Amino acid sequence: MAAAALCWALRAARQVLPSPCPRQVRSYYVDWRMLRDVKRRKMAYEYADERLRINAIRKNSILPKELQEVADKEIAALPRDSCPVRIRNRCVLTSRPRGVKQRWRLSRIVFRHFADHAQMSGVQRAMW
Amino acid sequence: DKDKSASKDSTPEGASKRQEDGAETPKQRLLDIIGNMKVEVSYRKKLQQLKASERKKQALNKLEGLESEGSLPQGTTEDTQRGKPLNPELVKAASAVASSLPHNQKQTESELLAQLRRHEETTEKQKKGGTINIRNVISEMAVKRQTPTHKNARMSGRISLQLDEDGQRIRPGRSSAQSVDSRRSLKVGKRLNIFTKASTEQEHALKTVSSPTIWDLEFAKEVAAVTAQPPRNGFEEMIQWTKEGILWEFPIDNEVGMEDDAEFHEHIFLEKHLEGFPKEGPIRHFMELVICGLSKNPYLSVKQKVEHIEWFQKYFEEKKELLQEI
Repeated sequence: MAAAALCWALRAARQVLPSPCPRQVRSYYVDWRMLRDVKRRKMAYEYADERLRINAIRKNSILPKELQEVADKEIAALPRDSCPVRIRNRCVLTSRPRGVKQRWRLSRIVFRHFADHAQMSGVQRAMW
Repeated sequence: DKDKSASKDSTPEGASKRQEDGAETPKQRLLDIIGNMKVEVSYRKKLQQLKASERKKQALNKLEGLESEGSLPQGTTEDTQRGKPLNPELVKAASAVASSLPHNQKQTESELLAQLRRHEETTEKQKKGGTINIRNVISEMAVKRQTPTHKNARMSGRISLQLDEDGQRIRPGRSSAQSVDSRRSLKVGKRLNIFTKASTEQEHALKTVSSPTIWDLEFAKEVAAVTAQPPRNGFEEMIQWTKEGILWEFPIDNEVGMEDDAEFHEHIFLEKHLEGFPKEGPIRHFMELVICGLSKNPYLSVKQKVEHIEWFQKYFEEKKELLQEI
């Protein structure tokens, strides 16, 4: 836990661009797994329409079965990274694959850190 | 001068009217009437008017640069000889008007004739298609109340002494004020439509085509980077964010990115896109279901729906051989 927090604090290669804009811009991803996840998301976006249409032919009781088998083979022939099932909702800051709240896209540790420092709008410690 | 111009305008019209009638007695009567009219104008006013008309003529010379006008200040008696001969009836009318006016009949007559000639020249130009309006030109000029003799000397000196022995232009200090005034009067006021605009438009078109060089882009980037100062306060920060798109514009518009110009019937009645499909069979059944689903979909644009149907058309055409086996 502490190691993760330290890793996140000493982020790898945060470049400061030469333009005089005061905001920080992230030019590298946290690790390679996050980068692969990003690639999968992009491919899934590209092939989304095709996959939807081929699946519409497959999951059908009207069209002949031979056509559906052909459609099965076609969808299997698409690149593997194009299916949305392979996308993992990782934490955006630490790339932690588990314990990620989807509304904030943050892992539980980062979420707790920001919430305690009052940097999460509308988030309060629960007490009842 | 106003009286003269008014009378001059009325007399050519009267003369033309009489010309149409073809009767001489009414014309003679008119001329007699004009001759009997005694315009009651004081001597000083008369002089001033004459001087003003002279100055106007000289200014006209400068602007238009007509050769015929150039000789005006020098020889007023040569009016009848040069240029197009005026209508003899107009000349008669001019002489009658001159006789009615109190002072210096010959001079007034010559000036009237000169004005008539100028009027005819302008009408010819307008017939040919020139849009130069002398009235506009005169109205824009601010005539100064200086002694005309001094101005005459200056003008003539200016025209003759444009180039020095070295080849450089003389700009005497006296004329600087005049040049400033002329500059001011040139830029201020109505357009005179003397020059055509076609050439400037072509230049602009050429410039826009050849402009985006790499150096220009780099320079533009540098300028943008230098001028984009960090925001001094929260308001400027919010302005910057709104420009970048991070912050929404208030009051919030729910349809910011959406620009669907299609009507509802284009979304719902999609049967016209089904023309490429066979009319019976499972495929038609399947496509009708597809269309039913699309018509209920509010999230896609008409283009996307049409693309969807076209993709299915392509797919089924590729699989035609397979389908015929079945």
